[in-house]
Amino acid sequence: MEGETALVVELDGEPFLQLRIFEPPRFFEGFLVGRKYDEVGDIVSRICGICPVSHMITAIQAVEKAAGIEVSEQTVTLRRLMCLSQIIASHLVHLYVLAMPDYYGYPGIVGMQGQLGDRVLRMLRMKEVMNRLTGIIGGRALHPVTALPGGFTAIPKPQEFAGILEELRSIREDAGRVVRDVADFAVPDFHAPCEHLALDTEERYAINTGTIVSDRGLSIAVDQYGEHFQEAEVPYAFAKKSVIAGRVIGKARVEGVSPSDRGRDARDTGTIRVGALARLNNKFDKLQERTRSIAQEVGFSPPDDNPFHNNLAQSLEVVDGIEQCIQVLESTSFEDEELFARPEAGEGGAITEAPRGLLHHWYKVDRQGVVEEANIVTPTSHNFRVIERDLKELVTRHRGLDEPKLKLLCEQLVRAYDPCFSCSVH
Amino acid sequence: MKVCNAHRQVLIQEQIVSDGKPRIGVFKYSCCAGCEFQLIFFQEHILETFEAADIIYCRMLQSGGVEEGPFDVALIEGTVTEDWQVEQLRKIRSVSKWVIPIGSCAVCGGVPAIKNTQEEYLVQNRVYADTSKITSMRAHSVDQYVPVDGYIKGCPMGERDLTEFVTSLLLGKRPEFLRYAVCVECKLKGNICVLVAYGWPCMGPVTNAGCGALCPSHDRACYGCWGPMKAANARALANRFSKLGLTPDDVYRKFTEFGEPANEWKPGQVRTWAVAQK
Repeated sequence: MEGETALVVELDGEPFLQLRIFEPPRFFEGFLVGRKYDEVGDIVSRICGICPVSHMITAIQAVEKAAGIEVSEQTVTLRRLMCLSQIIASHLVHLYVLAMPDYYGYPGIVGMQGQLGDRVLRMLRMKEVMNRLTGIIGGRALHPVTALPGGFTAIPKPQEFAGILEELRSIREDAGRVVRDVADFAVPDFHAPCEHLALDTEERYAINTGTIVSDRGLSIAVDQYGEHFQEAEVPYAFAKKSVIAGRVIGKARVEGVSPSDRGRDARDTGTIRVGALARLNNKFDKLQERTRSIAQEVGFSPPDDNPFHNNLAQSLEVVDGIEQCIQVLESTSFEDEELFARPEAGEGGAITEAPRGLLHHWYKVDRQGVVEEANIVTPTSHNFRVIERDLKELVTRHRGLDEPKLKLLCEQLVRAYDPCFSCSVH
Repeated sequence: MKVCNAHRQVLIQEQIVSDGKPRIGVFKYSCCAGCEFQLIFFQEHILETFEAADIIYCRMLQSGGVEEGPFDVALIEGTVTEDWQVEQLRKIRSVSKWVIPIGSCAVCGGVPAIKNTQEEYLVQNRVYADTSKITSMRAHSVDQYVPVDGYIKGCPMGERDLTEFVTSLLLGKRPEFLRYAVCVECKLKGNICVLVAYGWPCMGPVTNAGCGALCPSHDRACYGCWGPMKAANARALANRFSKLGLTPDDVYRKFTEFGEPANEWKPGQVRTWAVAQK
């Protein structure tokens, strides 16, 4: 995982557990005030080195909403491609560099070359192709430069797209192998029900636009985010915890709960989970047919409430994302267009599916397009509570295990969520 | 390069590649971790690099590691914003032959140092209602606290300088980092000058090279992410921006997005900033 964190557990008496995130706070929301609307994307992409595109595109979409800037259909498609390619690259890195060493007893990717060398090389090659796709559209894969409010400064040439399309086709089969690699992980049979949140649209697998839905009947527009979600500070971490407002922990009184849910453990109420697993739980039917058949092969079927399966869900998204990129590139031709944006005063937010789950940006800008207020909620803030709850559950269930084994199990669980603590203390 | 040549000769004679493999430590302070990422995924060279060098401390790469050194090279990523980081930095300096800041945050403050342009407590209060547990200081670059032996600039750090660094390390030679403006790269690429021809406010003339003139090559004015070039004429460029019709606020923002106030871009940051003081 990414960032500085400690897990504090006390088992005597009532189990006590805190995930202490002591990554130093970075105050992005504070110093964004006073910056210009067209700088925001470049600045917030520096929140995260793994998902810069998500932060950038979410911020740009939020600024456009706030400042009343319209974009073309082509811009929407290009942003979708950028986000998809980054999600795939991020998943690959997480699965092989951060998650895999745990399951094969290595301290990190170094040393894995011997036993798992071919897998690592395959991953690196796939990652390179995905980074190249981001780079073709964005200028570079890390902190892209072409995306601005209103559109893109430069549109890649047709031959660049043709080249990358060839490469994408060449890693199509490898994507299936990724799923099998991840299905080999020996994960515990651990069920931790909670509310899974994702973005959803009618026509396709939602990434950058849609409504916020949950597997327990929540369905709200992006604009309503502020009314439904609350961020709370905790004394032992610089990251904040985000929950759905009004859902009282400990009482299963939630609107829209289906009858089958009522019998569940009341403790899961109000706890939300975002990320690949949550996405698959909500919109499995929007996946490509090939992805669904691979899912069937490896025995993944939603609803799935095992957080360890987030790894598997990510690998399925790798397959699906590559298919989607190929389809988009095959069916679209891109043309040069004029970038034009004139800001108005206003406020507005956007939500996208970052690799790790729902990412929210909200801005208020004045007539000149200068930011007056900013708010950013990262996927790790959304998952913070559920990670702690699941850890507590896991530790309680495996009380008897000796310490190194328990520690490994906890690490595997936290990593399965793929948290990003650099992001969370933005 | 703050270490003098004679001293460097001694270091090289002592052999950076002491027992065959140089020992590298990677430390991360306040930043996005993108540079560490860039290092780990050093494109196709990653596995060769692992074979040629011993990365004995890098939290993102592996849990554990030898935090106390000694290191042949300590790579520092991120802006220094906490006092424990300064203490650690001094320790690292004392057990390392080379200390090299990587990426704009460590080199010149980068994006996290934007907060230096506003009142600290205002910035903190906007984010946290309870600021009692916050110990964050003004954001400063690594060389404000310890002497360093070179910079790998860029945001994320540039591949050309990274390659130069790794090869130099293995050959035991002094790395030649790029020390001229983005303009040079732009000319070499044959780009049309966006500042002169289109009147776009381009930071290229005062920004260190290394990106290959990325933004101007993508129809955009450079926004200075590589940080200041040494001996940049910031005042002249700021004047030019004013003549192009930028407001003093806009000029100020251009020169503070990637430059902590205490550096070569200072002449461009002439005006105190009137942010609505809420």
